[in-house]
Amino acid sequence: MPMSTPLHPFLWWVWATALAISTAKANSVVLALLTVTATGFIVVLKATPAPWRGSFRWALKFGAWVIIIRVIVGVLIGVPVPGRTLFVLPMIPLPSWMAGIRIGGAVTAERLLATAHEGIILAAIIAFLGAAASLTSPHRMLRLLPIMVYEIGVVVVIATSLFPALITSIARIRQAQRMRGQNNRGIRSWRKMLIPLLEESLARSLELAAAMDSRGYGFSRKRSRYRPEKWHTGEYAITCICILSVARPQYFLVLAAIGPLFSAPARSVKTLRGAIG
Amino acid sequence: MITFSKVSLIYPNSQNTVIEDLSFSVREGEFVLVMGSTGSGKSSLLRLINGLVPHHTGGILAGEILVNGISTQNIKPGGLAHLVGIVGQNPLNGFVTDIVEDELAFGMETLNISPDVMRKRVEEVLDLLSLSHLRTRSIASLSGGEQQRVAIGTALVMHPKILVLDEPTSALDPVAAEEVLSILHRLVNDLALTVILAEHKLERVIQFVDRIIHIDADSEARIGTPEEILKDSLIAPPIVHLARALDLPVVGLSVRQMRRMTEPLRSRLSKLPDVIEDSSASGSELVVLNKLSCGYGSKEVLHNLSLTIFEGEIVALMGRNGAGKSTALRSIVGAITPRHGSVTVSGRNPTNMKGENRAQLIGFIPQEPSDLLYGQSVEEECSQADNDNKVAPGTTQALLAALLPGISPHTHPRDLSEGQRLSLALSVVLSAQPELLVLDEPTRGLDYTAKASLVTQLRNRTVLLATHDVELVAEVATRVIFIADGEIIADGPTLQILLSSPAFAPQVAKVMAPAPWLTVKDVVNVIEANL
Repeated sequence: MPMSTPLHPFLWWVWATALAISTAKANSVVLALLTVTATGFIVVLKATPAPWRGSFRWALKFGAWVIIIRVIVGVLIGVPVPGRTLFVLPMIPLPSWMAGIRIGGAVTAERLLATAHEGIILAAIIAFLGAAASLTSPHRMLRLLPIMVYEIGVVVVIATSLFPALITSIARIRQAQRMRGQNNRGIRSWRKMLIPLLEESLARSLELAAAMDSRGYGFSRKRSRYRPEKWHTGEYAITCICILSVARPQYFLVLAAIGPLFSAPARSVKTLRGAIG
Repeated sequence: MITFSKVSLIYPNSQNTVIEDLSFSVREGEFVLVMGSTGSGKSSLLRLINGLVPHHTGGILAGEILVNGISTQNIKPGGLAHLVGIVGQNPLNGFVTDIVEDELAFGMETLNISPDVMRKRVEEVLDLLSLSHLRTRSIASLSGGEQQRVAIGTALVMHPKILVLDEPTSALDPVAAEEVLSILHRLVNDLALTVILAEHKLERVIQFVDRIIHIDADSEARIGTPEEILKDSLIAPPIVHLARALDLPVVGLSVRQMRRMTEPLRSRLSKLPDVIEDSSASGSELVVLNKLSCGYGSKEVLHNLSLTIFEGEIVALMGRNGAGKSTALRSIVGAITPRHGSVTVSGRNPTNMKGENRAQLIGFIPQEPSDLLYGQSVEEECSQADNDNKVAPGTTQALLAALLPGISPHTHPRDLSEGQRLSLALSVVLSAQPELLVLDEPTRGLDYTAKASLVTQLRNRTVLLATHDVELVAEVATRVIFIADGEIIADGPTLQILLSSPAFAPQVAKVMAPAPWLTVKDVVNVIEANL
């Protein structure tokens, strides 16, 4: 039984963008949180074990920082919002032409909630883009890009394949030097590591470039495609839900988030039927 | 197919020519081996064939190279992509995509070959190299041998006339190496592919090749049949040394040939009693693993490993690629924390040792010895080691001079050859006089001379090494441990373990079987003592 073919890489970006627009439009914290949870499920279920898989996790972490910073900034600087006062910060006097803006002052529950709300919506949008990044192989994306931007693509290939390698090299070299009895703290230890690391990365990039060169890369201006990626029924169906969700987010947002799940069952039903009949 | 006429090569910022006045020609369907010591210009020679040198590396090329009638002077490597397939030393560094099938298609896509032709060729190559069950796998998850096969596949889909390989088996275990070489042998015979290959482990390839290009230290090159070249070359596999030691009229290239030639000798020797050296350990326990389990993420690499290594033993850890050898070494040196069980070295736990205490207990040479080095010159590296290990200034330098004389102290470690770099790393580590020396795959990329000097460095110490190099094990180890799937499947004296498995038996043992001799020296000793 062949593996179910993965969804078109562009679809994930259509999906993530639609979720982002809908979430911004719905402007509801509950919906946003639900959608992020649903997206998390999709990432866990559909992401392949690859170096970019961690993008979603990084996006969540980054989102958390965005919320924190947004709340701090919102509390410190801004226009006064009337309501129940929680606590009062000392106010910094500003010149008179900046009337209406203040730093410090009374912090009301309403103001805290409003900034947290904005922060969460923003973090959700970041999470959706992170999910799309976890779910698409940059290499597959690049093969779909027009030949004109392919040159840039190659730079990205080298960068994306070198970055994970760089991380493993750092770990390996630090470990080796620790084994030599070197102390691993401080800037000096990084300087020691930098030399073998740069040497290795440079050698590796040159080797990759040489390999691409000797495989005819860039020699022919035209480029054919092995097994062109197509937009199937599943992709169309998900796109439809995404459009609906942009139009009426309050009804369709969560449905759109779990949309990609429905592309597989059609196939499993067929398999099941095949197994029974 | 390939013609070199009066080719000389010099790299920029260098005084010495890499290749001087080299002329030879290779016909279609020949299997040619390029041999020479490290740094003799083998890789440069291979890369000249598709124009990577000098188009990609720079340098001045004199003379003319014709590949299928095309001069490489005027055409970039990409223009020869359909003619010459090249597989680098480390295939993983040359992969562009992440899935096996996409990787095979990449070269054809760049040459704008139509999709249906591509599909057909990908299928062909998948079948030819028995890769079809791996087609949708991610390349990073494949074993070393599989990756090497994919790399050969990426070259073959272009339907080249020439295949160029740089040390294709240096990172592979004997079984995987055998697999790759027999595929090459088949391609030469079935498709009349021309194969040019560089390799240090001559014992693996010598029986397949038609001709040898031998580059010696002063970049003089000779070309001839294996018998001609190996008759008197300094670099030779053990089987040839055996033929020379026994004064055989011709050198045998395969175990079969050698067995035929040594038949009278063996029948005379069969009446001798077996002389087996007693190499049982007498020292005290140094390393004790107790029910050790280790792993990364959700994968458990070692299961319940229990093992004791005694002082004065030289233990070789062998097994397939990915069997857990490196993990075992790294848990012994304390680089990874065990999940269950314990490791003690000389009664202490290696994971939380630091500084000179660690250096005096365990010396570890990783797979890439250059990971240990960061100085700007050999001199700086040595004095840093003296400082770190609190020994008298000059100790490390003296050690290095004893291990491998003739290294200029002002050289940058990067400019050393593989063998020299290993010696430098070894002297840095040994200057602390560690109780245990641990080496991970030390002979990768080493020629026979460098290997011989390594062997003398290892003697009279407690050593643990992971290696695929059967000949090194036969030469130096007192005890062999086989690991498969994270478990010990065999453990015993070298002689007993190596003779019990045909894949891992050294060539001399195969020739002289059933006599229990592993090296040329063993055979010579026995003959001298008894005849």
